[in-house]
Amino acid sequence: MEARPVQRSGSRDLSSNNNLARTSSIPSSSTPKPSAAEDVFMRSENNNTQLMSRPLGQTYHLLSSSNGGAVGHICSSSSSSGFSTNLHYSSMVSHEKQQHYTGNSSSNAATVQTLSNDSSWCHHGSLPGEFLDFPETHAAIQNSSHVEDGGIGAAFDDIQKRSDWHDWADHLITDEDPLLSTNWNDLLLETSSNSDSKDQKSLQIPQPQVVQQQPSPSVELRPVSTTSSNSNNGTGKARMRWTPELHEAFVEAVNSLGGSERATPKGVLKIMKVEGLTIYHVKSHLQKYRTARYRPEPSETGSPEKKLTPLEHITSLDLKGGIGITEALRLQMEVQKQLHEQLEIQRNLQLRIEEQGKYLQMMFEKQNSGLTKGTASTSDSAAKSEQEDKKTADSKELAAEETRVCEEPEAPQAKRPKTDN
Amino acid sequence: MKFGKRIKEQIQESLPEWRDKFLRYKELKNLISSPAPAESIFVGLLNAEIDKFNAFFVEQEEDFIIHHKELQYRIQRLVEKCGDNEEMFRLEIGEIRKDIVNFHGEMVLLVNYSNINYTGLAKILKKYDKRRGGGIRSPFIQKVLHQPFFKTDLVSRLVREWETTMDAVFPAKVAEEGYERSAAVTSAAAGEGIFRNTVAALLTMREMRRGSSTYSAFSLPPLNLSDSDLVLRSVHLSSPIPIP
Repeated sequence: MEARPVQRSGSRDLSSNNNLARTSSIPSSSTPKPSAAEDVFMRSENNNTQLMSRPLGQTYHLLSSSNGGAVGHICSSSSSSGFSTNLHYSSMVSHEKQQHYTGNSSSNAATVQTLSNDSSWCHHGSLPGEFLDFPETHAAIQNSSHVEDGGIGAAFDDIQKRSDWHDWADHLITDEDPLLSTNWNDLLLETSSNSDSKDQKSLQIPQPQVVQQQPSPSVELRPVSTTSSNSNNGTGKARMRWTPELHEAFVEAVNSLGGSERATPKGVLKIMKVEGLTIYHVKSHLQKYRTARYRPEPSETGSPEKKLTPLEHITSLDLKGGIGITEALRLQMEVQKQLHEQLEIQRNLQLRIEEQGKYLQMMFEKQNSGLTKGTASTSDSAAKSEQEDKKTADSKELAAEETRVCEEPEAPQAKRPKTDN
Repeated sequence: MKFGKRIKEQIQESLPEWRDKFLRYKELKNLISSPAPAESIFVGLLNAEIDKFNAFFVEQEEDFIIHHKELQYRIQRLVEKCGDNEEMFRLEIGEIRKDIVNFHGEMVLLVNYSNINYTGLAKILKKYDKRRGGGIRSPFIQKVLHQPFFKTDLVSRLVREWETTMDAVFPAKVAEEGYERSAAVTSAAAGEGIFRNTVAALLTMREMRRGSSTYSAFSLPPLNLSDSDLVLRSVHLSSPIPIP
């Protein structure tokens, strides 16, 4: 996809509070030109010129800067005005960013490279003050909206998503910005009035509602729900998640227009008539399609890196026991199959473990809500260690069960059940 | 540190374009060491990582979908072109077979990519909670489960489809002629990378599942890889990855 500037039409006035937002939720996708909001943000980071000169996508660099002072400034500049508001926008802002994927791995690469080069990240040791304040307001914000498990992120996520659907349809239908700003106002009201306080949890963005369609045979739009949900910026440039069915419809449309070379994105879009599909989606997909057809590479990633001399080729084939190519391919396939199988098993186990843990945690939160558990046997809070005890005890059974499933003779022993969870 | 080492190896063995798309486990781990950052900062960083995964994953998936269809068409066209001409079919199918296997491999590696990053996230969160005495792990992981990069169902489905197709496209265990080998030597390059990556991934998994000092209820049981041990042992890679 092409690079696009990040815009947030409804939030210009809120940009001044985006300080913490930028620091705390730094998107990996970058845009070459900061939008107006980002400019304001950059300028407000007046203690660090580095910040101003960097496009948003490389704000990673801020944290990875070996200049600890600069980092400190980031923190301090955001401490004054309510952290609460900042948190708001941190979810929001990161939401925005997600949408405007360039699909540009080079920008990610640049970002990552920068980061990995610097080993010192943001150390807040010099500014303990800020972060003492932080948790309290943080907790207050957590329960601003009880859309899912609560947590401000969830509320935003949810609203963003709904707005997003509208937004994609925007291209074809009407302007839904009023809807978004309404939601914003509602949320702001909710936030300020809510004063519940949960146990300190982080910026939760609990399970977003599955606006995303389940893989279905029909050619429906599958919006990508990212960490921060799809945001509305009035241009509907969100990332699409393609399916084989959708692609088939695409191919049909292309063929009906005379082939991949002659077909235009606009034409294809018109024929496909898929709600929410934008011309940008089609354009980038068409580009990929053309490349795939006219340069059918054996490997998606291209072989240049793996070009060996003929001697090395022969040697590496020999390493497979001197077998023929078809047998070598079979063997390769076999290993791949094994890996895939193991991955699926592992994934299922991980899912079950989390399911179990989540269930137990809910149960314990219910139990703990009225009671104070007495002794803490570790340095952890009493409630936590109790929870973990029980979790461990019950999950041990689960683990043991899974062990049997996996036909392993050794039963896993939960050591020091109170600590690591 | 075991996982850190393993993910590093994985990244080293991975396809080049992928290398900067993995979780920055080591950096995050170092970041957690005292003083651990505030939750919002930390979560923000993790979110950014997740965005990175999502972007990469979805893009790869899109490429796979296109390639999947193209490969199907190629086979179809070849079948139509050759009709009953066995020999002609056999000559041309070699290239397609290789493509199938490599394509399959690459898709599996994407699933592996998803898994490694998920596992890394879970571990990092656990470390963070341990450091800060907080409880961000569980809710955060719940969120991760709904992220696009974690939803590998489609790719897995394609993987299985090609496993089935293999039988149709590959000869029924007939011993191959030696000349085939030399002819296909230069084109095996791509496969080698994928193959090595795959083997590395399997070894990593086995290693990681061997049990650790911090084994808990949330840890995975040891891996059952008895069959593939045979496969792995039969492959002697002269590489930095030792086969224990």
